[in-house]
Amino acid sequence: MPNAILDPTGTTATGTSKPAAPRAPRPASLDGKRVGLLINTKQNARPFLDEVGRLLTEKYGVSLTKRTKLNFAMPEADEVIKELVANNDVVITGVGDCGSCSAAAATDGIVLEAAGVPAAVIVTESFRATTEAMAELRGAPGYKYAVTGHPVAMLTEDQVKERAAGVLDDVVALLTDQAQAGA
Amino acid sequence: MTDAVVDAAPDPDEAQRAVEYCYDQGWSDGLPLVPATKPLVEKFLATTDKEPDDIIGSLEQVGRDCTVYTAAINAAMAGCKPEYFPVVLAAFEALMRERAAQGGGFQSTSGPAPLIVVNGPIRHELEFNTTGGAFGPGFRPNATIPRAIGLIVRNAFGIRQHVLGQATQGVPGRWSICIAENEEESPWGPLAEDAGVPGGVSAVSATLTRTCEFIDNRSTPVAEEVLADFADTIGRLGPQIFPQTPVALVLCPEHAQQFAGAGYSKADVQNWLIERSGRTAGELRRAGKGAVLRPRGSEDAEPVSDEHFHRVLSQPQQIPVIVAGAKNAGISMVVRIFGEWSGTAVPIGEKK
Repeated sequence: MPNAILDPTGTTATGTSKPAAPRAPRPASLDGKRVGLLINTKQNARPFLDEVGRLLTEKYGVSLTKRTKLNFAMPEADEVIKELVANNDVVITGVGDCGSCSAAAATDGIVLEAAGVPAAVIVTESFRATTEAMAELRGAPGYKYAVTGHPVAMLTEDQVKERAAGVLDDVVALLTDQAQAGA
Repeated sequence: MTDAVVDAAPDPDEAQRAVEYCYDQGWSDGLPLVPATKPLVEKFLATTDKEPDDIIGSLEQVGRDCTVYTAAINAAMAGCKPEYFPVVLAAFEALMRERAAQGGGFQSTSGPAPLIVVNGPIRHELEFNTTGGAFGPGFRPNATIPRAIGLIVRNAFGIRQHVLGQATQGVPGRWSICIAENEEESPWGPLAEDAGVPGGVSAVSATLTRTCEFIDNRSTPVAEEVLADFADTIGRLGPQIFPQTPVALVLCPEHAQQFAGAGYSKADVQNWLIERSGRTAGELRRAGKGAVLRPRGSEDAEPVSDEHFHRVLSQPQQIPVIVAGAKNAGISMVVRIFGEWSGTAVPIGEKK
């Protein structure tokens, strides 16, 4: 009997599958809701989310709170998540336009969902694969998120506004009971 | 043709099947792996006092740990000899001390490469290359130890290109740079000593890097002219994205000895370059990089006039100096550090 070839991933014994992450219940609409914007500090993320927030205020009379991520590359700290959960009915985060920050955005969204707050994660089209891989790692295979074109960092102010308007319907659909947005 | 010769040779067809098996599992970095078996991995585990289940590194954001046992399998697959394993463990520990390695660096679009530096008698005990061709290839410990680290990141942490690994282009030499410092021809103390480990003790330092750029300067007798050449490359615009842009200097013995001969200590070289490496605010703005002038995270207006000289370095820990290569030409490397070097070295813990 020859020796077995050993698995170098360290996952054979325990497996990596996580229990399924729960998804928060959705409101029927965003009318009058408290919307948290979690800005990941990447170039143009602030004006992008500001414009999304402005449009939601105009359309649905939402109220806004804004937070910046402590470190765009990492899952957000528990205390920030708690604060977001306490102060908001729904949260929007982005813009995931790099390897670590798109994955971290997916994690933040999934953690918020588990805490009972619907989240809309916005990433650029270049980072679908890593967003989906991270969602699967976090127990949320098939996780739905919103996508905008890549790149975002070098857009002008007006172009950022156009992009924000372009993703608005998907964000609203992700956060409410409407049919889910195509990711 | 005798039977004895045939019997003594390994079965190449079986070896090829085993190599293909490893490819099929998705474990490989693209090159053939040594199929690891229990008897082989046990030889690796016998070189350390650590327990096989000890966790030697974790990446919180992907929920994965690496144990001594898993590291040993990856080191065996990378082509390490068992006796290299204490160096692999020290290199991994040193790398995981880097904030950038913990903080998403392996997933980054930058695709950073570890720079591993080995000091002390272990360089000769394990037959590291300490002279010409410092960046490789051609020498088993120098080539396989960084490869082992890459396989750990791929297999134990599960970071694979196009999925959780999002390198735009990646860095040439990724997972293949392990320099054994040329202490014999260095006019100064070893890097590990600068990092707090006494000279003569074998130790490993590591950081993440974003490529190296060569300085070819071998015709002037004036040390300050050579230093000015370094300052130009260190200060150039391309790598600047944050207010500070740390670098490691991998000096050839000829440059190091020229500086020492002109009376410069290692600290003198560092301070000379800290003072003079950078670009003006106007140059940064003309390249669309005015944001570099703002404190990191600040969205305030840029504070300075076009004539302001923006230094890319402010302290010696941002510019570690290593002496490596052959004493045969004035060719050195400026290595871009991804983030900041921890400034520490890990003593190599062999089995007591």
